[in-house]
Amino acid sequence: MSSVFKHLVLILVGLAVAYPFYFMITTALKDFAEASTTPPTLFPTSLHPENYAEVWSRQPWARYFANTVFVAGTTVFGEIVIAVLAAYAFAQMNFRGKNLLFALFLATYMMPGEATLIPNFVMMSNAPAGVNPIFPIPRLGLYDTYAAQILPFLASAFSVFLLRQQFLAIPKELHDAAKIDGAGHVRFLWSIGLPISVPALVTVAILSFYASWNAFQWPFIVTSSPDIRPIQVALNAFSAEAGSNYHLLMAAASFVVAPVVLLYLVGQRYLVQGVARTGIRG
Amino acid sequence: MTKMRIPAILTTLALLLGACAGAGPAATAAPATEADIDITGPVTLTLWHALTGDPQKGALEASVKKFNETNGKGITITPVVQGNYTQLYQKTLGAIQAGTLPELVHAYESQVADYTKAAVVIDLDAYVNSKKNGLDQAGKDDIYKPYFDTNRFPQYGNQLLSFPFSKSLAVMYTNEDVLKAAGVTTTPKTWADWEQAVMKATKKDAAGKTTQYGYVGTTDASYFNAMVLSRGGNIMSADNKTVAWDGKEGLETLQMIDRLYKGGYAYTPTGFDFQADFANSKLAYTFSSTSSRPFIAGAMKTPVNWTVGLPPQADPAKGRTVMFGANVAVLKSTPQKQLASWLFVKWFSEKDQTADWATKSFYMPVRKSAADNEALKTHWTGKDPQGKQAFDVVAASIPEPNVRGQQEIRDVILDMYVKVTTGKATPEAAIKDAGARANQILKDNQ
Amino acid sequence: MSGGAIAVDERAAARRRRLFGENAQAYLFLLPAVGLLALFKILPAFYAVYISLFRWDIIQGAFRGLDNYVDILWANATRAQAFWQSLSTTFTYAAITLPIEMGLALVVAYVLFQKLAGRDIYRTIYYLPYVTSTVAAAFVFLWIFHPQYGPANQLLGVFGISGLRWFQEPDGIFQMLGDAAGIALPDWAAGPSLALVGVAIFSIWHFLGFQILIFLGGLGNIPLEYYEAAKLDGASQWQLFRRITLPLLSPQIFFVFTIGSIGVLRAFNEIFVLTNGGPLDTTRTVSLLVFRTFFQQGQIGLGSAMGVLLTLIILAFTVIQFRFLERRVHYT
Repeated sequence: MSSVFKHLVLILVGLAVAYPFYFMITTALKDFAEASTTPPTLFPTSLHPENYAEVWSRQPWARYFANTVFVAGTTVFGEIVIAVLAAYAFAQMNFRGKNLLFALFLATYMMPGEATLIPNFVMMSNAPAGVNPIFPIPRLGLYDTYAAQILPFLASAFSVFLLRQQFLAIPKELHDAAKIDGAGHVRFLWSIGLPISVPALVTVAILSFYASWNAFQWPFIVTSSPDIRPIQVALNAFSAEAGSNYHLLMAAASFVVAPVVLLYLVGQRYLVQGVARTGIRG
Repeated sequence: MTKMRIPAILTTLALLLGACAGAGPAATAAPATEADIDITGPVTLTLWHALTGDPQKGALEASVKKFNETNGKGITITPVVQGNYTQLYQKTLGAIQAGTLPELVHAYESQVADYTKAAVVIDLDAYVNSKKNGLDQAGKDDIYKPYFDTNRFPQYGNQLLSFPFSKSLAVMYTNEDVLKAAGVTTTPKTWADWEQAVMKATKKDAAGKTTQYGYVGTTDASYFNAMVLSRGGNIMSADNKTVAWDGKEGLETLQMIDRLYKGGYAYTPTGFDFQADFANSKLAYTFSSTSSRPFIAGAMKTPVNWTVGLPPQADPAKGRTVMFGANVAVLKSTPQKQLASWLFVKWFSEKDQTADWATKSFYMPVRKSAADNEALKTHWTGKDPQGKQAFDVVAASIPEPNVRGQQEIRDVILDMYVKVTTGKATPEAAIKDAGARANQILKDNQ
Repeated sequence: MSGGAIAVDERAAARRRRLFGENAQAYLFLLPAVGLLALFKILPAFYAVYISLFRWDIIQGAFRGLDNYVDILWANATRAQAFWQSLSTTFTYAAITLPIEMGLALVVAYVLFQKLAGRDIYRTIYYLPYVTSTVAAAFVFLWIFHPQYGPANQLLGVFGISGLRWFQEPDGIFQMLGDAAGIALPDWAAGPSLALVGVAIFSIWHFLGFQILIFLGGLGNIPLEYYEAAKLDGASQWQLFRRITLPLLSPQIFFVFTIGSIGVLRAFNEIFVLTNGGPLDTTRTVSLLVFRTFFQQGQIGLGSAMGVLLTLIILAFTVIQFRFLERRVHYT
């Protein structure tokens, strides 16, 4: 293959991949009439940045962003703490039932969310009026709270596997030396294990952040008040309000997408490493 | 139930105590039912609704604000949008499982039937008939009878389980300019005439490709139902056990639709794009809710002559179309909150409020007397003559069935309609299959 | 001797103490993770099975045993038809998405792996959709493929194709091609609906970058000496690709295929926004069917039974993949 041909392939694919972003931003800058004309215009004939202001004023977007940042931030932090402890135990400690527990983790990782969607939803709820369940289901009464959006994602078998790999790679000599110095597991983990695992931790954090930021199905069903509604659910709700005002919907979509794209451009290296190391999908 | 029982016990205790104290001369009559109590302290309520966009959303928020400020009983209502009607319904079904319902929910009739299955809906008859907090006879008579009928549920002992809230009806929108340009000068009186008018209003280029359509087939089961009604057919059989739209009138409707699509005279819209086509005189006819008026008017770049009204009728003396719009149901909570909810619902239906609501939201007023409201009259003569046209045919609106399973049946009708318009099935085969499926659903939901 | 024995005993005791201490400590470390997994993953799995054994129509009703499963699989004609159709839709969706996505990703990764000017820029662009939320991106696609106002039809118009209805089109694509060519195809040969193809295009767009990334990682692991040795033997570009790249990339191909097919089988968000299962149920995958059964029909027992069946199918699918495909994979 000549290099011109290679570039041609790459540019064509690149255009197809980038075009929706271009379309989103340019449509957001058109007025209603231009956003719904046939044939569509490639460039807006007149620019309407005030669309963004209008969309912003229609809904408490700042609140939705704050909700998502809070949920994603708490999830990332909690998930890392919990995964670090479990991963360390699996990698560096000896205990009875290790294989059994590890198999259990593996099993939960394989299990798709569809089967647990309904029971998890029911579990989040209060006991409904008039129903006396025979089966002892915990009723957490967390429907429509932040906790309902966070708790189910705190323990991630996937993050545990990833960090376990990392901790297994700690040279045995380091651990032995620390033992001779009288350092226990906690101190060893804190002063040696964590500092040398920063890249892996950042990877877990970024992947967990993306998953949390982009989550839709679960928060959609488990929240009902706008006060705690995350940004993706708010965007979906806004689509009903926008109706045929597609230019406004595109404006909303672009500021929902903007923060993650910026984060991606800054932290690209870690994300690329992370995905390459692990490969999760959506 | 346990939640409910405690207040019930307290009420009983209060009754007993009241009876003991009743020995004294100053005793007042103990309340006969929960509907006759007083609001004793501040009450906060949540209303879930599906009015996602303005002007309706803003109109509701303004109304609620006014109620909160003027009710004088310390009742505060918070309206919360839960997305469109489907999403609101999903949310409410979820909240039933979750045991965290709002006090008031905006819902279509068949959705109320589903909620009632979970025993969370309050029968409003006691409140309507309460001497203290209810409506007087004149008030009851002032509200259109079909609006009461639609909220009585035969499946649940004819209880009044919801109350008219955001009402409208299915009407035909006509772009008179397009028809005039196409040489259609008389209003079609029969469906056959109407079909001719659609064909005349359609423009095609030299290659036979349509450049302007006569009709847009909005994909919603209700418009099919409206066409069936206008032809003299029924939606349900008299015993409510089987559907009736799968008869002669339904078939004629589908056959007509089939001809219009096959001939390139009609198209299926994406979202609400047809409103722009209609407003820009690229379309002669569409069926829509009366509450689409502001959107259609808003999409007009230049003034257009347009009207709303009933489609052609089999019996012009007794026009029939589908009643649209949703109601509000009061859900089980505490006697205080239930009464407060009812007081809001009642206030919302009062003459001046319903007129004000109609002015701002473009929904239909629920009372006949609203027509005397000066502000509404001015609004109709000035900005919204189509509002008056719609109001004049309110009496023709017939509620769709409020049986359980109706939501699924609407999907079945829609499927049938799409099968015909996409040429997947003949009208005969599609309606036969859909009728059988709908009857099975009714049977499953008995 | 005895002294030695005591020393051994003490050492053993110390080890026991240490082990006991270590056991306790390890359990403490694992407690949060195990507790949460038990509460939100394991217990709900059992609960799903429990719910699926009842008539649970908005409220919990009578015990039905396996009747919900029987209804879904064959006994209730409407339910069974919906379930099997959704299953077939799900696998069709996987079958059109994955091969194209993987093929394209492989080609791009192969080209991108070679030293080219602007490599980093290409890469940045390719990965972008992967981090973009599916909800926001799906709204964009809805408008790009709008039958009247969308640029997709405008572009196709240049090639003389017009009036495609994309996410509203229930007709099979082969049927549409056949109609255009004047050949009437039988129903079974109609192919996936254009709406499903539209959803697949979205999916390919969204996950292409992820696959490119994995393949690039794999390509980086192939020792350059292999290529050099083969070149000395006079191998052509195609032979290099066929004989070295492809076999040595097989772990990544296998991985992408497994992860990808599970992802496609579980897809929800994009379909929910793009078509919500329509038109005529041609994009209603099992995930969407479960959702509708639960949240739109209030049939919680039936919905749970479907969820359990989907889980079993995904598990079986994964196990089969590991069994049959992994044998053919060359690990370096």
